[in-house]
Amino acid sequence: MFDPIMEQILAIARDAWAFMAGLLIVVALLGGLYYVLQGTAGAAFGASRMTSMAIIGVVGLVIIVLFAFLFLPQIGELLHKFQPKAPF
Amino acid sequence: MNAATSLMVTFLREAWVALAGAFIAFALLAGIAQILRVSSGSVLGANLWVWESISALASIIVLGLFAFLGIPQIVHALQSSLPGAGGCGPISELGTLASGLIGGLAALRMLKAAFTSMFSASIGGSSTFAKALIECGEAIFGMVLASAAIPLAAFFLGTC
Repeated sequence: MFDPIMEQILAIARDAWAFMAGLLIVVALLGGLYYVLQGTAGAAFGASRMTSMAIIGVVGLVIIVLFAFLFLPQIGELLHKFQPKAPF
Repeated sequence: MNAATSLMVTFLREAWVALAGAFIAFALLAGIAQILRVSSGSVLGANLWVWESISALASIIVLGLFAFLGIPQIVHALQSSLPGAGGCGPISELGTLASGLIGGLAALRMLKAAFTSMFSASIGGSSTFAKALIECGEAIFGMVLASAAIPLAAFFLGTC
């Protein structure tokens, strides 16, 4: 009964997922570029703290993106596995 | 009466399955929205955004687990406390119909509250977990009231 509506909602949700995943990649690439610029500038004029902060930032960004693309699908699988039948 | 009951309960069951499927989809969207916020916040140096998003992510997971593990258990518990038939004849049939429908409607209302909260989180709003819990509490209170009303109605309208 609700299948046609569900298909429409899931199609919109899939499009939104693809859009947000693309946006996340763009933001991560821009952030990575910013940190690389910060790191090289720091290395050029001898600001070791600036360089190390930039390296930590890049590592953090990579961890966040990996978390999004590896952890979230697992959460989805988990919720899908837990999806209960109607309790009435 | 039995045919009408089974038709309405089937309708509610299908609505439950559809809502649960949409809930998973929006949970994932909410998750990626919060991750996007974390990444942009960390690049911009906005610590508050990062912490808000991390706590929102935790609340999304808790809300998902509550919706899929907690709500069915609450509904089972309340349905077992609902008296099925308090008399005989039409009152008995009406009692059976009412107890089935009350359970189904309360379960759907609780899942709808959790879904609304998750939808709000997926569009970047605050995850209104407290509102979902309040609505679940209202549904539970309604079921408790109904469990008292059915025997009373059977008593006043006639028992065998």
